[in-house]
Amino acid sequence: MSTSQVDLTGPVIAVKDLGIEFYRSRRRRMQLREMLFHGRSGAPRETFWALRNISFEIQAGEAVGLVGGNGGGKSTLLKMLAGVLLPDEGEVTVNGGVAPLIELTGGFVGELTARDNIYLTAGLHGLSKEQVDEHFDDIVEFAGPEVRSGLDTPYRHFSSGMKVRLGFAVITTLDEPIILVDEVLAVGDRKFREKCYQRMEDLLVEGRTLFLVSHSEPDLRRFSTRGLYLQRGALMMDGPMDDVLDRYNHDLDATR
Amino acid sequence: MRLISRTEALAARRSVLWTLVIRDLRVRYSQSVLGYVWTILDPLLMSLIYFLVFVYIFKRNDLGHEPYFLFLLIGLLAWQWFSGSLTDTSRALISEAKLVRSTNLPREIWVVRVVVSKGIEYVFSLPVLLFFLGFYLLQGKTHLNGWLVLFPFAVVVEFIAAVGLGLLLAPVTALITDMQRVIRIVLRMLFYATPVIYSGQLVPQPYDKVLWLNPMTGVLEAMRAGFFEHDKLPIQWGAIATSAVVSVALVFIGNTVFGRLERPVLKEI
Repeated sequence: MSTSQVDLTGPVIAVKDLGIEFYRSRRRRMQLREMLFHGRSGAPRETFWALRNISFEIQAGEAVGLVGGNGGGKSTLLKMLAGVLLPDEGEVTVNGGVAPLIELTGGFVGELTARDNIYLTAGLHGLSKEQVDEHFDDIVEFAGPEVRSGLDTPYRHFSSGMKVRLGFAVITTLDEPIILVDEVLAVGDRKFREKCYQRMEDLLVEGRTLFLVSHSEPDLRRFSTRGLYLQRGALMMDGPMDDVLDRYNHDLDATR
Repeated sequence: MRLISRTEALAARRSVLWTLVIRDLRVRYSQSVLGYVWTILDPLLMSLIYFLVFVYIFKRNDLGHEPYFLFLLIGLLAWQWFSGSLTDTSRALISEAKLVRSTNLPREIWVVRVVVSKGIEYVFSLPVLLFFLGFYLLQGKTHLNGWLVLFPFAVVVEFIAAVGLGLLLAPVTALITDMQRVIRIVLRMLFYATPVIYSGQLVPQPYDKVLWLNPMTGVLEAMRAGFFEHDKLPIQWGAIATSAVVSVALVFIGNTVFGRLERPVLKEI
C-alpha cells in the first residue's frame, strides 16, 4: 500500500532465525469421528522443518532470486514474506507493502464480470475505487484485447490464460514497494510473457524491491542480481546471482 | 491484549471489509433476479407454516405474544441471520482458502465479513417486518411501546455473538473436517432451544435460566419488547442481560482460540 510507512534507512526485508515446522503427512486434517472412536486423531504426528535457521536482510531496490530444488522451501519462504504463513521460530520483518504475485486468480469471482472483478480484487489489496479508476485503462490494456472485449462478460467464461493475465495486470498495478513473484512468469503465450518481462523490468527501474522464485535460469539471471540458495530448508548460500547459480548447478551435477 | 490489537488491525482495513461485503451482496443478488425474494421467502414461509401448525391444527394461541405471526416473523428473521452466519463463518477460512493464502489481511476479516454480509441481508429483510407490523397496527391488534429502543441493542448483541462464535468455529472447522456436519445438527437443535416459536416465559423453571445461556434467547426477548403488550408475558430482563454478557464472553473466547489456531490453520488450507 502506498500509505505504509517505509523506513528508508534500514533493510526492507529482515529475516532472523526463521523456522517453520510442518507435519509430514499431507492429510493431517482430523476427523471428529476418528477422534471420538479411536481416541487420538489417526493422523501421523511426525514433523519436519520446511525451513530453519534462515537469516538475511534485503535492502530497498534489490532484486533477489530464490534458487533451489523442489521441496527446498522456496515457496514457503515467499509465503512467509507475504505474511500468509506465520513462522514457528524467529521473525520476519517487512517494511512496506507487498504486491504478492502468488495465486494470481485467487480473488476473482466467476459469477461477476471482469470489470467488477478488477475493482474487487484491487480493493482487496488495498486500492480505493478512485485509484482503480485511475489505473483501470492500464490494467485492461495490459491484460490484452481479448480481456477488453470481454470486460462485461462473467469472469468464468474467460480462458485460463486470460484469467492469469488479468490477475497479473491487477497485481502489478498495485503501488507497492516490494514485489513477490512465484513462478508466474511461466504462464501465458510468448507475446504476453514478453509483456510481463517488460513490466517487471519497468518495476525494477522504478526502484521496487523484487523477490523472485523460479526454476528458469534465464529468468533468474535476467531479473536478479542477488541469489539465495535454499536446500532442504537451509540457506546454503547468499551471494551474487551468477555465483549462486554456479554453486547450485555444481551441486546438481555432483549428485547426479 | 490481542483483542484490541486485532480490532485495530481490522479497523485499519475496513475498506477491504466493505469490498468483501459488497462482493458478497453482488454475488447474491446478481445470480438471480429473485435474490432478494429468496432472502425473505424462507422466514416468511416458515412463519406461515408454524402459524398454521400451532394456531389452526393445535389450536394454541398462548405460545407467544399476540399477534403470533408477527412474533414468529421477528424471531425467524433474526434466527436466519444467526444460523446463516454460523453455517458460513464455520466455512469461512476453507471456502476462501485461495484468498486467505494470497492476501495478507487480518484473518479475522473472513469471519467478520460473513456476519456483516448476513447482517445487511437481515436489515434488507426488515421492510417485510414493517409491512406486517403496519398491517397489524392498522387492525389495532398490536401497539408499539418505548422498549423499541431495545431493537438496535439486540441487533448489536446478535452481531457480537455471531462474531464470537464464528471466530471459534472457523479455525476449528478448518482443522477438523467433519465439524461442518456437527454444526448443522447442533444448529437444528439450537433452533428449538431458542425461543423462536415459543416465548421464553413458557419454559418451566429452572430450565428457563439454562436457556438464558443461549445468547439468542435474550436477543429475541429484546427485539420483541417494543412490539407487544407485556401484561401476560413480562419482559425477561435476566435473559437480556445474560445474552449481552455471554456474547462478549464469546468474543473473548473466540479471539483466543482464533489466535492459537491461526498458525496451524494457515499451514493446512
